Amino acid sequence: MSEDTSPETTGAYHWIGKNVTKPDALEKALGATEYVGDMVVPGMLHAKILWAGAPHGVIRNIDTKDAARVPGVAAVLTASDVPGTNRYGLAVPDQRALADDKVRSAGDALALVAAEDEEAAEEAVAKIKVDLEPLRPILTYEDALDPMAPAIHEGGNVFQHTTVRKGDLEKGIEESDVIVENAYHTHRMDHVPMEPEAGLAYVDPSGVLNILVGTQYPYRDRRQIAPALDLAMNKVRVIQAPIGGGFGRKDDITAEIHVGLLALKTRRPVRLVYTREESLIANTKRHPMAMNFRTGARKDGLLTFLDGDIYGDTGAGVSLGAYVIKKAGIHATGPYDVPNIRVDTYTLYTNNLVSGAMRGFGVMQAAVAHESQMDQLAHRLGMSPLEFRIKNCLKPGLASSTGQLMNEGCGIEATLQRIKDYMSAHDLRFNRPHA
Amino acid sequence: MRQRYALRVNGETRETEAEPHESLLDVLRENLRLTGSKKGCNEAECGSCTVLLNGRPVVSCLVLVPDAVGRDIVTIEALAGDGTPHPVQRQMVEQGGVQCGYCTPGMIMSAYALLQENPHPTDEEIRFAISGNICRCTGYGKIVKAVRAAAEEVGRAAS
Amino acid sequence: MATRKGLGIGSMYYGIGYGFSRADIGSAEIEMAEDGTTTVYSGACDMGQGVMTVVTQVAAEELGIEPDQIRVVAADTGSTPDAGPTSGSRATFVQGVAVQNAAQELRGQILDMASRMLECPKENLHVRRGEVCETGTDRPLVSVGKVAHQLHFHGRRAAAWGWHDNTTQDVDPETSQGDAYATYGWATQLAEVEVDTETGRIRLTKLVSATDAGKAINPVAVEGQIEGGATMGLGYALYEQHILENGVPRTASLAFYLVPTSMDVPDIECEIVEVPDPRGPFGAKGVAEPATIPTTPAILNAIYDAIGIRITETPITPERVFFAIQEARARGEFEED
Repeated sequence: MSEDTSPETTGAYHWIGKNVTKPDALEKALGATEYVGDMVVPGMLHAKILWAGAPHGVIRNIDTKDAARVPGVAAVLTASDVPGTNRYGLAVPDQRALADDKVRSAGDALALVAAEDEEAAEEAVAKIKVDLEPLRPILTYEDALDPMAPAIHEGGNVFQHTTVRKGDLEKGIEESDVIVENAYHTHRMDHVPMEPEAGLAYVDPSGVLNILVGTQYPYRDRRQIAPALDLAMNKVRVIQAPIGGGFGRKDDITAEIHVGLLALKTRRPVRLVYTREESLIANTKRHPMAMNFRTGARKDGLLTFLDGDIYGDTGAGVSLGAYVIKKAGIHATGPYDVPNIRVDTYTLYTNNLVSGAMRGFGVMQAAVAHESQMDQLAHRLGMSPLEFRIKNCLKPGLASSTGQLMNEGCGIEATLQRIKDYMSAHDLRFNRPHA
Repeated sequence: MRQRYALRVNGETRETEAEPHESLLDVLRENLRLTGSKKGCNEAECGSCTVLLNGRPVVSCLVLVPDAVGRDIVTIEALAGDGTPHPVQRQMVEQGGVQCGYCTPGMIMSAYALLQENPHPTDEEIRFAISGNICRCTGYGKIVKAVRAAAEEVGRAAS
Repeated sequence: MATRKGLGIGSMYYGIGYGFSRADIGSAEIEMAEDGTTTVYSGACDMGQGVMTVVTQVAAEELGIEPDQIRVVAADTGSTPDAGPTSGSRATFVQGVAVQNAAQELRGQILDMASRMLECPKENLHVRRGEVCETGTDRPLVSVGKVAHQLHFHGRRAAAWGWHDNTTQDVDPETSQGDAYATYGWATQLAEVEVDTETGRIRLTKLVSATDAGKAINPVAVEGQIEGGATMGLGYALYEQHILENGVPRTASLAFYLVPTSMDVPDIECEIVEVPDPRGPFGAKGVAEPATIPTTPAILNAIYDAIGIRITETPITPERVFFAIQEARARGEFEED
């Protein structure tokens, strides 16, 4: 190989395209990598959280007196102990580090304990008395859409309504030879990172609050921690600890503010490690969605229109839900050229667990609907589902649902072709449509 | 009530104090600072805490400390005790079987136990042997490949 | 046991990165020490998927040094610049370019200094395997370490900062028209399922995943994303459901919340498609989410192909399939064997 030939033209890179070993892998295989739950620092306290466990209610009182008397307990904190805004949230700061006026979901944190060991912290949590006046929970899409229903947050339960409009829907419907209409429902999913959420915080001698956490974005954590705890941003340092899986879950605040607050109050290092049960109850999940889709095509196999509504249950906090659901709307056509579109999306507050970012980010749900629609149209037209997709997929020169012109890097046809080649190489055939 | 226990861990006798209801996992992690065994669920569902007890893989979160007394306990820390990674460890790295790494020690212990019992496992036997170890990152394919490669490596070294 | 097999396709496109005018940035600083070893201060969090490895490979390629000479310090507000989150399948696509920019800048510094040291025009020099070489002959002239030493000696610190802003304008608020994302990921999967028509149980027996990586910077890591993504998609399709009753979690245990095990996942066949994308580093783009999304629809379509019943609700539990078959039978619409 001639050494001075440009790799950009020949693809003869030295390191791009090579299976360079991951620098962190051996340490992990040896069991030597220390995740937050493996870390111990001198003088460290152990934290536990009291979770709401109920979806909706007015907090009348939280009595921490008995909890504070448990031997070994260093601090029992509630919302009134939070020095800053006590708020966080990725789209809007609608989540409380510790619930103050109301409980809005079973995953809300009500109180924090730091103690010399986990057992003492657990005992103290069990001794906290909560006086909660239950409120009717908003749990369904219908409840959330009802303008008469009580508002979970100020501004009502429809947090966001987005609209996708392209072409002329009526014309698309008229031109259609086949139309398929269905309602799809997708469910709540948990990320289940193998490492449950954890954080370790300490205030260093210069007064900087250091937080070690398995996060996906330390800078945004810092942007959220500082105002919540009334700290200057340069007095907060967030360090990504080795992370045992995130999948979007650890984009959000998890343990950061809680351990930070406890470290500030106790002036000792504090470690918080969730149990698996806590991890399943708290923080974000994948949005359940209800999707009503009507899609048309002509006899020649070309798509004519998409008419759809998407309702997303973001739970008691928006987190990234507004973007997740807006993204679902934009991607509702799938990777196809659809000339006429009406899609509306609704981001709905409920008293269910908060939903946020999860691998697939709204498109996971949208694809359940658009791909089911595509297959049904293909069957109605008597076409192979693969050929129907190849015919309609975006290609350079065509535009997406948002009118974005496709150019370089438009790979959908290549992926479909690869599957087609695979099927013929392995003599695989669909059963349907029947010949 | 706290009691004294002598545990045989990685070939050494280790004295420790614990409540009789404490799990072997907690004692390994907290008292003996052997944190390679991970706590992913503490209810015997995920396999992250797998260690060997008399050569058999067990989830150490479900073993009470008194029940581990008098038995040989082997943890992930012992596999490269002499400084050389075990073939399963090295192949996990080389084949791409490690991502976030949290399931990795438990996974390796299950695979190691399999190869002790069955040096030439089929892919199906490998999949069965690691079926109690949940991995959320890899989809298992590269782990199966790593265990297969390790078996071949051990086999070559033996012949 | 009465089983039927079916094949199904799932395709998707996925806007890479953030879109909606949200800051979509990468940045990194690279410093070469006096012995030529190099540290990349990269703000991107490695989740284990390998962005540190990608950063290493991009820096090694651009600097002309070996990957084992590079150490990555990652994701710490006290020591690394802000590189945005590791999410939205954006880390390689955005941070890869930032690192590329930083490395090109540092390479320029090295060649400038080497040119002065060697009294040789910069255009006639390049770096390869840690040596500044004469272009054309590849004859090594001086090690990068010696050049870096000179830079440090003159107070220049042999360091460069690189950034990349991938932020796109938001779409129109009324119509959502506009260039929503810098680029898109593309993927198609083929699923083969076996449906037990007596119990409603579904088994995924084959999965072929054709995913466009643009350019696979590290093929094993890309396959890791593809296989892991499809497995999470399989869990979404068949097993995992977080059930709330009146807002209270009823599945807050892995005994009830079921994650796929090694016995549930077939050997996933990875077909890496490479349609180069000029906006990404060396043509690359992210695959984490594109590899996850098509699995559930491919399984849904394969079930239809097998039994002629359209399931419209997830997860596709045995109960749901069983009752769907019963209802189809009651309507006289089930195709009996």
